Amino acid sequence: MQVKRVVLVGITLLLVAGGVAERAGAQADATAAARAEGRVVVYGTMAADNFDVIARIFAGRTGVQAEYWRAAPDRLLDRVLSEVRARRPAFDVVLGPSYALRLLKREGAFARYASPSYEQFPRASWDRDGVLSPPYRVTPIGIVFNTRLLRREEAPRGYLELAEPRWRGKIGMADPTLSIFSATWLVNLRPYLRDRWTGFVQGLAENVGSLEESTLTVVSKVAAGEVPLGIAHLNFMYILARGGAPVDYVRTDPILADAHLTAVGREAPHPNAARLFVDTLTSRAGLLALARAGEFVVVTGIHPPIQDAERLRVVIMEDLDEARYAQFRQEFGRLFRGGRR
Amino acid sequence: MSARTAASQVLVSRRRWAQVEASTWIGGGVGLLLAFLTLYPTAMLFYGSLSDAPVGTLGRLTLAHYRAAYTDPATYRLMVNSFVFAAGAAGLSVLLGLVLAWITVRTNAPGRPLFELVALAPNVLPPLLVATAWTLLLSPRIGILNLTLLRWLGLPPWNVYSLGGMMFVEGLVLTPLAFLLIAAALRSMDPSLEEAARLAGSNTLDAARRVTVPLVVPAVLAAATLNFVRAVESFDVPAVIALPVGIEVFSTKIFREALAAFPPNHNLAATYAVSQLAIAVAFVLVYRRITRMSERYATITGRGYRPHLVDLGPWRYLASGVALAILTVLVVLPFLVLLYVSLIPFYEVPSREALGRLTLRHYTFLLQSDRVERALQVSLALALGGASVAMLLASLVAYFAVRRRTRWGGLLEALSFVPWAFPGTALAIGLLWAYVQLPLPIYGTVWILLISYVTRFLPYGLRPMTATLVQVHRELEESSRVCGAGFVRTFRRVLLPLLRPGFLAGWAILFTIYVREFSTSVFLYTPRAEPIGPLLYHLWQDAQPGRMAALGVVVSLLCVVVVGLARRWMGTGERAH
Repeated sequence: MQVKRVVLVGITLLLVAGGVAERAGAQADATAAARAEGRVVVYGTMAADNFDVIARIFAGRTGVQAEYWRAAPDRLLDRVLSEVRARRPAFDVVLGPSYALRLLKREGAFARYASPSYEQFPRASWDRDGVLSPPYRVTPIGIVFNTRLLRREEAPRGYLELAEPRWRGKIGMADPTLSIFSATWLVNLRPYLRDRWTGFVQGLAENVGSLEESTLTVVSKVAAGEVPLGIAHLNFMYILARGGAPVDYVRTDPILADAHLTAVGREAPHPNAARLFVDTLTSRAGLLALARAGEFVVVTGIHPPIQDAERLRVVIMEDLDEARYAQFRQEFGRLFRGGRR
Repeated sequence: MSARTAASQVLVSRRRWAQVEASTWIGGGVGLLLAFLTLYPTAMLFYGSLSDAPVGTLGRLTLAHYRAAYTDPATYRLMVNSFVFAAGAAGLSVLLGLVLAWITVRTNAPGRPLFELVALAPNVLPPLLVATAWTLLLSPRIGILNLTLLRWLGLPPWNVYSLGGMMFVEGLVLTPLAFLLIAAALRSMDPSLEEAARLAGSNTLDAARRVTVPLVVPAVLAAATLNFVRAVESFDVPAVIALPVGIEVFSTKIFREALAAFPPNHNLAATYAVSQLAIAVAFVLVYRRITRMSERYATITGRGYRPHLVDLGPWRYLASGVALAILTVLVVLPFLVLLYVSLIPFYEVPSREALGRLTLRHYTFLLQSDRVERALQVSLALALGGASVAMLLASLVAYFAVRRRTRWGGLLEALSFVPWAFPGTALAIGLLWAYVQLPLPIYGTVWILLISYVTRFLPYGLRPMTATLVQVHRELEESSRVCGAGFVRTFRRVLLPLLRPGFLAGWAILFTIYVREFSTSVFLYTPRAEPIGPLLYHLWQDAQPGRMAALGVVVSLLCVVVVGLARRWMGTGERAH
């Protein structure tokens, strides 16, 4: 009986070892193939400094250089769509917000690829078609304030306070008819504010004193003291705060965030390097490095060095499709721009 | 006169066939090249404005985009806003450019070489950066100038976030172009006419008003034309100054409705751009009509010319003061803001505490970054090569447009304006689409950037060349031909040296634009060759305004040095010639 058990354990160990060896062999083959391809070309919206963190890990693991084309989401869409429609894609991997990557997936820009790294993400977040990665990082949008102009106890404690008359003309916000992030944020607050949502949006629209092109200009103006508070991405706030700018954020519950995904190009010029790059980016080591650089990553227990980040309940926002965005855009245009010149 | 003409005809007739053939071949080649460069990408956009499929793909013809764009009453209201904004900005830029150019080129005011060099600096800075600098100077809450004037003089703050503020800042952004165009024309002008006016009893101011100003009318019109169209198309200044307070102009509407829509609607953007094209073409026609009697402005004749300076006497110090005041507003104030931002960890209103936090860390980043080094190499190579290629092409186009006043000459000039009338982003899409489809290895290389720079900014090179060429009398060319030189030789040995001021002015404009070019580069650059423009923008987008400002300072100084060296080199050549 005991001999049988030993034999069974032995066979199991051999099979596991064989599997590991096979996987290691496959990995070695993939790395060799990637090296033969020479480089990987990535198009994305991630800050260049943070991309460099991943590029260094990738080069260390594979010896392959990652080249990065950085753009805003709308330009990313333009370039990828143009290359795909002309059937001359020059990219291997795309990184970007979920709404943009879902549109590109629909246009046939990507190949199926399920990285072994995806195992660490909840199954529910996996793409049904196996094309897009699960959300691997998020960019939370919060209420940011200037600590020289407002003490923490003076700042709003929650979303509804933003609509109070005391903030008239004192709030900076990205124009929801220009920034899809801003519009998505407003719409995604509806389930939390329920019947108070309409009043909240109207009050906020009346209070916004500076309607900006993007959330970056909002946080820059808050840091400079042009407006005491604003609605902006927390990663921008973190970068400015790291440099010493007097900015902090309100710990609202929840904090809503955009999801960021990645995918491998359908006709990637360097497909092996592309797959290995996605493996590295979404690996635990990659995500840890991104978190250290200030990114909110989708790994339980890993947080960026932003004060109280571990206490936040970050909820990924539901994307707006084209039709819903068009509908809300019109509505928000009337509210936010209607009273202006 | 008649004997000379007859002799010319006899001699010219011997070589007529060869000459006609050479100039025709060259003219045809230039026409074809220009048609390809300009019409190929813009045809994509035109087709897109009439198609129900995304730009670059085949679809059914439709007028739906035109209905959407032009049945909206807001379109016309915003066109009026744009017209007022563009007229104000162009007017201010021409006024400042004219005064500065006259003092710098035609007077003996002290400090002129420095004025000339410094006036170029703002051209290097992306308009986004200049507009941001002015909001930091004139914001009603945190503007350094406003706070200073309030503290010292008790003056109420002037709000830059207004239509007037927008005109003012755009006017400053456009002034270097006006300055360079007008300065080139002033430099080519025969000063003996002013002397004659003074001998006839006019004082210096009268001579300037009655002789100098009419002689520079083509250049002034050229500057006004270019700057008006440029302001109508401008997005950066309205985005920074107008959008936050809800002032809307036509370019912000295009951005809102088409380019920033999800997904971006380039068909609609192209449709809106058609009206901008119409405005640009209308202005070219008006300009050509005004300059039809080009001989009226011809002041460089076979008698030779030796430009010399108007002696202002003791007034020369006042003239220097005026130039310094203009340059302070134009260059010094925004540059100081940029320098300040590059030396502090984050932007804050200057104070003793803030000055205690001065740091060189943004400059250390520049020194340590491979990305910055690569971008500088790429942009300098593109700017040097691109400006030279574009100016050569502009010289030829100007020659055929001005000297051969046929329908084809006018067409060549109009062609060069076609891509220029499209918003930068929309044109970039057209270029992207055009070259991504072309079965030649251009897309994905640095060559596409060179092509896009030449295509988009040719009018900037063309204007100073035509403005200078209309002042060069035909008799010099005719003499060269009489002496047996063919078209190529005459063009190279006679015309190009005479057109040197225009060539240098155009080259300097293009060099400074190419070094920081953004809106087309950002679509077309390859990851291996990121130019300065996109890098500046990405540093800003990555919330690194200090690094962006430091790079802006370095690039501005670098450009001033390169343009100064080029000017010196060209000047040496001119003297030798």
